Amino acid sequence: MNKSKFLKLLAMFLTIGVVAAACGSDSDGDDAAPATTAAAPATTAAAPATTAEVEVVQSGSLLDTVQARGTLNCGVSGSAVAFSETQADGSVTGIDADFCRAVAAAVLGDAGAVNFVALTASERFTAVQTGDVDVLMRNTTWTQSRDSSVGMDFGPTTYYDGQQLMARVSDGFSGSSTVADTDGSVVCTNVGTTTEKNIAEAALLAGAEITLLGFETSDEVYETFIAGGCDITTTDGSALVGRKAKQQPADQEWVIFPATPISKEPLGPTYGQNDSAWADAVNWTVYSMIIMDEYGVTSANIDATCATAEAEVARLCGGDGELQTAMGLSADAFRQVIKQVGSYGEVYDRNLNPVGLYRDGSANAGWLDGGLIYSPPAR
Amino acid sequence: MGGFGIGSRNSAVVPSANVPIAAPPEVLKLPPREWVKANLFSSPFNSVLTLLTTVVLLAIFRGFLAFVFDPVRQWDSTATNLQLFMTRAYPDDQYIRIWFCVAVILILTGVSMAVWRAGSTMPVAAIGHKLLGTGALLVLLALLAPFSASATIQWLVAALAVAATGEVLRRSPGKGEDERTVSTLTVLVIALAGLVASLWVVPYGHHTYIANRVPRVLAEPGTVALTTKLPWTVMLLIVVTAYFAGRLMRDRLPANPIRATLMVLWLLAPPVLVYLVLRDPDFDIGHVVGTDLPIFLAYATGGAALLSWLTRPSTGEAGRIIAVLILLVGFCTFLTPMRMVVRIDMLMLAVFALAAPTFAGGPRARKRYAVGWLGVLGVASWLITSINTPSTVEVPGGFFIGGLSITLMVAVFTILFSFPLGIGLALARTSSMPIFRHLSTGFIEIVRGVPLITILIFFSIMVPLFLPTGMHLDEVTAVIIGYVLFSSAYLAENVRGGLQSVTRGQHEAADAVGMTTAQKTVFIVLPQALRVSIPPLVGHCIGVFKETSLLAIIGVFDLLYIARIVIPGQTEFMGSARENLLFVSVIYWIFAYQLSKASQRLERRTGLGER
Repeated sequence: MNKSKFLKLLAMFLTIGVVAAACGSDSDGDDAAPATTAAAPATTAAAPATTAEVEVVQSGSLLDTVQARGTLNCGVSGSAVAFSETQADGSVTGIDADFCRAVAAAVLGDAGAVNFVALTASERFTAVQTGDVDVLMRNTTWTQSRDSSVGMDFGPTTYYDGQQLMARVSDGFSGSSTVADTDGSVVCTNVGTTTEKNIAEAALLAGAEITLLGFETSDEVYETFIAGGCDITTTDGSALVGRKAKQQPADQEWVIFPATPISKEPLGPTYGQNDSAWADAVNWTVYSMIIMDEYGVTSANIDATCATAEAEVARLCGGDGELQTAMGLSADAFRQVIKQVGSYGEVYDRNLNPVGLYRDGSANAGWLDGGLIYSPPAR
Repeated sequence: MGGFGIGSRNSAVVPSANVPIAAPPEVLKLPPREWVKANLFSSPFNSVLTLLTTVVLLAIFRGFLAFVFDPVRQWDSTATNLQLFMTRAYPDDQYIRIWFCVAVILILTGVSMAVWRAGSTMPVAAIGHKLLGTGALLVLLALLAPFSASATIQWLVAALAVAATGEVLRRSPGKGEDERTVSTLTVLVIALAGLVASLWVVPYGHHTYIANRVPRVLAEPGTVALTTKLPWTVMLLIVVTAYFAGRLMRDRLPANPIRATLMVLWLLAPPVLVYLVLRDPDFDIGHVVGTDLPIFLAYATGGAALLSWLTRPSTGEAGRIIAVLILLVGFCTFLTPMRMVVRIDMLMLAVFALAAPTFAGGPRARKRYAVGWLGVLGVASWLITSINTPSTVEVPGGFFIGGLSITLMVAVFTILFSFPLGIGLALARTSSMPIFRHLSTGFIEIVRGVPLITILIFFSIMVPLFLPTGMHLDEVTAVIIGYVLFSSAYLAENVRGGLQSVTRGQHEAADAVGMTTAQKTVFIVLPQALRVSIPPLVGHCIGVFKETSLLAIIGVFDLLYIARIVIPGQTEFMGSARENLLFVSVIYWIFAYQLSKASQRLERRTGLGER
């Protein structure tokens, strides 16, 4: 009796399978036009709703999509000191956030039309691939594998960072110490990041024997360092400077070394590969901020400067609009960038000076001052 | 042994109404000094143990106080970011919506407490006892904490005042036969009123922070987002008013309809508040009238007519065949491009059609079934429409809400959705049909064999890549699906334990009166099984609430992520992770402890402890 019941059920499921297969072959013809029957797309997309339905996919460049949507979805960290911080009222500030605003000002004419999407390190590239974000401004290091196999393209570097070490002066370290001097030290760092790998490689090359201690968050690293649980901490130089300014106790003196970082960490905008129109729009937003900085143009004097400007500044101001309009932007796009957000130097000083990072003498000075910040000419 | 489930409950309840039960044996009450002697210093070994434990406890307490009151601690990082903790970036000018949601939940709570007669009475002396204990603890705190001399004196004075109040309360009523008692609810309201009053005096969250390096005052008096004193005062009044309104209702109206209405309102509250109030969807009226409404009406009329025919006892086998056909059509709709609403409605209709014979009966039963279909269809249609309408609440960041709000939202939706799914899985696993049994067993064992964090990372990172181009699934939605699948597998095992405790006699008795398998399950087996499973189910709910903290690992701005990553990422508050972690652990503890107390009350009410 049990067996016959089982057979009956099996027969029923077989029938379902056959009918389902029949349905499937019927529908093949209709699949060609999914866009016409797709359910209501979120046209205004004011905020990413919890929509689980199909949205119409637009072919062509992301530039058209963003302009049609009216907001820029910008991927940030949301918890990186001075780069993208989430403030008490939920607003996002920092140098990365300001570059997001700059792209929005160029593409949409409104620096406020940014939807910041906070991403963890592991989900950032997925977010670009699935189209959740249009551009990443999430202190992402430009590397060969990310540029090639991960499927990203990188814009101009907006911040040249590099891994350094921090130790106590009382332990005999000074600004001229090298990795070789760390022999026998306990080094604290974050786990799961490239910093761990870099310091291990650097110590191996310098012939220093070190003990690595890994922690989940930066706060834990510095608590341990302050308490004397380790002799040295290591991470990107920008973070070390901020920590030193903020957390150095009265009875300790910290020093950052070596002067030449042990790794190269060029940080800049990142987007999906093979979309030239979108890449141009993002890249030239950054370049325009660099060029304007070279000429000393700021958000305060942009209106006066543009009224009398000649040559390159005039072209960026929108004098001969075809340079910008040929890219699919409005003629005064870059003027809006400077006006609403500021030049490169302004953005840098506003966000990074408070944590003790200054352009003078660093890799982030302009090329005329011996730094690496350089832009192709606008003509 | 056969009538174990229901029988014992009756026998426990009925006599208590008529026959006075003998009082429990008197526990000898010793005066304090003798109690200490009898319990703590009864033998040399015990004395040593007591002394050692005291020293260790004091050392731990002192270390804790030294941490909390260390001037290096940045407690203003917690105070300044209270809004971030609660809702993350919800826009200030829309903040009234958050308070509206709180008010709705408080009204439902107040009315429910009155209708279900929550609360009991406690002797005034017991309150005095508790205050005395609190005072002693405060004295200890004042002596152990690294305070300055003047601060120590202030704390000592406050501690002694509390202790003295306690002592007065403890002694005031004569030790006569009739002790003075007071309702626990009164005590609760007085305590809450004290907390609310303190908001008017102590500036908890009123600090400045630096946005764009320009000093800016956060606490602008009057904006509903940044002040809590006026809203919480109103909330306290609302909950007290709701309680008295509930008492009026309880006394004037029949009990069962009120309770049923309240339960439906509780079930509807989460989706309504989240999708209608907090998201404020921007309904396109033309689309709603032109598309959504016709689809609803078609299913409502067609479905009601069909179901009222299917529930006719004379329909017989033809009805079942039609129900299976509807299910097939429902599956087929997924193979052709079509509106999601049409597919979901078709599947729901199939479920109702398949269940129809179970609820077959006279005209009244049939009408009730059709009305049930209309209700479910209405709620589902509204929910689908509002989920797919973009939110007008603009926030920076991926999701419209965060902090404690998203923690609660994920927990509530996980529990709401995993209950039916888990019960279904448990029934399938104990079913005699091999296909259901194997599928369900396979699902449960696979899900239980995988760590939750793996499932969450899979749903947050992998699933978006698997979706067809152009289809978009919000991260929070995807993660809630992961939570529901995980939670339902465990819940199914809890329910299965309950199902197996229902004795064979119950099944046989149901068979003997001619019930179908479905009727037997719904009306005989499940009610008993669920009652037995209450303790593990509540434990499961507490687990789900605490497991939401795993959201922090995948980068959703939940309570833990904000405390551990976001606030230490602000320039002003670098290195403040430990303060904020302590704060959120207190919040988690408050919620988990309340749930656990609620489960104890529920167990007492259902008489589970006495079996």
